[in-house]
Amino acid sequence: MSLSLLISLSLIQPVPTDTLKARSIDEVVVTATRTERPMGALPLPVSVISRKQIQQMGSLRLNDVLREQTGLAVVTDHGQGIQVQGFGPDYTLILVDGEPIVGRTAGTLDLTRLAVGNIKQIEVVKGPSSSLYGSEALAGVVNIITQTPGETTTQAKGSLSARYGANKTSDFSGDINKQWAVGQSGKLGVYVFGNRYQSAGYSLTEGSQTVAPFTNYTGSGRLTYTLSPRVKLSVSGRFFSESQSNEFIINPASQVSGPGTVRDYSLNPVLTHQLSPGWKMTYRYYRTGYFTETNLRYTTTQEAYDASFFRQTFNRPEIVVERIINPKNILTAGTGFIAETVEATRYTERKQFNTTYGFAQYEWMPTLRWTVIAGGRYDAHSQYASQFSPKLSARYALSPAVALRGSVGVGFKAPDFRQLYLNFDNAVAGYSVFGTQEAAAGIARLTQQGQIAEVVLDPARLSAIRAERSVAYNLGAQLKSPVLPLMVSVNLFRNDVRDLIETQVIARKTNGQNIFSYNNLNRVFTQGAELESSWRWSLGTGYLTISGGYQYLVAKDKAVVDGIDAGTVYRRNPETLGSERVKPADYGGLFNRSRHMANGKLFYEHPKKGLSASLRGIYRGRYGFADRDGNLILDSDPEYVRGYILYNLSAAKTWKTITLQAGIDNLTGYSDPAYIPNLAGRLWYTTLRWAWKA
Amino acid sequence: MRIYHVLLAVCLSTAFISCNSEDNPVVVQPLTATTVRDLAADPTSMTSTSGQQPVAATGKFTLFSFIDNKQIANTDSATNKWDVGFRGTMIIVNGGAIRSGQGGAYIHTGTFDETATVPTSATFAQDQSATQLAITASSGKGWYNYEPTTNIISSIPGKVLIIRTGDGKYAKMEILSYYQGAPATPTSANVARYYTFRYLYQPDGSQTLK
Repeated sequence: MSLSLLISLSLIQPVPTDTLKARSIDEVVVTATRTERPMGALPLPVSVISRKQIQQMGSLRLNDVLREQTGLAVVTDHGQGIQVQGFGPDYTLILVDGEPIVGRTAGTLDLTRLAVGNIKQIEVVKGPSSSLYGSEALAGVVNIITQTPGETTTQAKGSLSARYGANKTSDFSGDINKQWAVGQSGKLGVYVFGNRYQSAGYSLTEGSQTVAPFTNYTGSGRLTYTLSPRVKLSVSGRFFSESQSNEFIINPASQVSGPGTVRDYSLNPVLTHQLSPGWKMTYRYYRTGYFTETNLRYTTTQEAYDASFFRQTFNRPEIVVERIINPKNILTAGTGFIAETVEATRYTERKQFNTTYGFAQYEWMPTLRWTVIAGGRYDAHSQYASQFSPKLSARYALSPAVALRGSVGVGFKAPDFRQLYLNFDNAVAGYSVFGTQEAAAGIARLTQQGQIAEVVLDPARLSAIRAERSVAYNLGAQLKSPVLPLMVSVNLFRNDVRDLIETQVIARKTNGQNIFSYNNLNRVFTQGAELESSWRWSLGTGYLTISGGYQYLVAKDKAVVDGIDAGTVYRRNPETLGSERVKPADYGGLFNRSRHMANGKLFYEHPKKGLSASLRGIYRGRYGFADRDGNLILDSDPEYVRGYILYNLSAAKTWKTITLQAGIDNLTGYSDPAYIPNLAGRLWYTTLRWAWKA
Repeated sequence: MRIYHVLLAVCLSTAFISCNSEDNPVVVQPLTATTVRDLAADPTSMTSTSGQQPVAATGKFTLFSFIDNKQIANTDSATNKWDVGFRGTMIIVNGGAIRSGQGGAYIHTGTFDETATVPTSATFAQDQSATQLAITASSGKGWYNYEPTTNIISSIPGKVLIIRTGDGKYAKMEILSYYQGAPATPTSANVARYYTFRYLYQPDGSQTLK
């Protein structure tokens, strides 16, 4: 079929009158290319979660939103993080307006730090984006786009909302949005957001608090100043502060308690200059900081149990030039410098590392059917080997309804501060952990003190640690029916990772305990398929959207697979307890990965009556928790956590400027205290929201 | 030792027919493995201040004899009456600088049943000091793995302990469980420090282990 015929065919189709539908087709995303592009034309798997959807779901924090998305799992390890295409939280970059949030504990960036009230939309790109964003964008990128001062001049708008729910959880949010005309062509815009979130926490087991009571505050804002149609300045900032009163039992005889605080802030001035229709310059500066402090004491004696702090700063100037040669050829190039520092109780001194980088991306649309994007980024780092991360992606429209897309890319994750600089002696258990750059000095110190029984691995060999690297392939198809309100997309993925950094025993102490450091050890792969579809019906004068998503995932350690094939991996027979060889079919892959994940959602909306409601079911299939038979791999049923479904329900009614919403998350009250501490049980809430315009 | 008793019984019951080896061809009787259940290892006496384990020489071990298939009194610790000893997760052999016998240990990778002889590659380590034991007393390096998320000690599957006894005989041994009652999937509710293991002792001094 010729393209002209296709176009004329599509012209015959009735023009959609439904504005919502038209908008969903034109959704604009920035994460995939770093400039605004219509989502439908991108050759990468990108999904967008709109503000409206977030409000309908009744979500408060980022983890609530992401938990319900296809292919994403929220996992708990020192905070709630996100798993993308089978990678742990360390491998997904979390951005706010394109700038990274810092402050990870054991690799997890706690998503509960991010309130969702100021979000315009959330963009999720799966597959590596290191070609644009560098380290950590190995599995994917989550980019939170915050509200900007509106386009309409002199109009002001704002909202206030209050919510109360189970576990004495309260949330107050407010925002104001205002624009002024300045001079002849200038415009000044302000957006301000504030949030207070408090919870009494919850307890899943008798006598101990699973989540301790906490209160946090978020403030964010943006000032935009349009000096002329060609020059725009935007300054945005964020501040977050949380305090928690910890209290837990360490053994039957003693209890510890004390305060913990977490703070972060960021400042981000951006100047864009449209030199000519074909040339655009963007100058950015980003500074962010993250700070935690904990002071735990024995409740009875007030003796110190653990007092620690962690301070991280991140500074980055960047220049990006966009050259639109013509609508079919767009070149984007940029360069920047990152200076990071960290100071912490468990590090010997203030540590600093720097990255200088440059990237380029070429978008080529030779015909209406083809979109090709080629790009690459070079990161020169002060502490480990330099990285080059290329990526090539393409989209081909078979017809106006069906498009194929594919990409090949390289992703990397730098060794983090902990892996480089940790210097930690556990006084209670007697073991030690050293970062690779501290291992030699640490071993020397302990040798002098006569604490070393045997050195297993020469620490000098560790200092040349490399970044973890992956090569990823994504291949998919998308169907957007021109006649029916139907959307179906499928994506197949495969990630081959090498040089995975793992803890390794480097020496033994005379007290029988080990000394650990980090080394490039494993090779793993993750592969699978993701399917998403949605169907939107007119139901009377309202709309019903039915959507479903599913991810199939296999994630395995290549050395284990090889070992099983060679017959050198054993397990304990559950009947006889004797050793036997593990069969290939018994190997369940990496821990904490569900082979099956799915969701089904119903959203109902009746704009005229101001009614909306949703029912969402989220399934997470069984996944490995920990080894139980000594072979360190997942290979038997008792090593799995049972699969479960969560049902979340919400309903809202709007009267002019007032909206009342009520909902129940985890309707059936499913919980698994031993294995899923972040599942609090049934949670009800009710929200009153006032939105005004002037 | 159980095998010995069985052979003796066979010999006695057939004594009136013929029980002298001079006019019989040498019949190699297959040895069978013995399983010992819930042998209580000596506790690791915690020092009150730090909670750390004291070094080996100061504590006592639950001593065990393969040939007698029973526990040996601690007063016999300087003799060849015992072959292996247990304290907490520590397993000792009767050989080396801090022992009286000629024993040693080699950790072989394979299954218990397939290990029919002492492997030619075997190199026997000995208990040289409290921190240099033949069977390294730490997770992943000796006989067990410790899983920090569940706090469970699991004997590593596919590890056969080839033991040389104090008087130079050989045996193979596999630790099956570290918990009382040898549950297939122990939890933190199970009582630790109870060894269940199987062994096969070769009394004739050869390296054949079947």
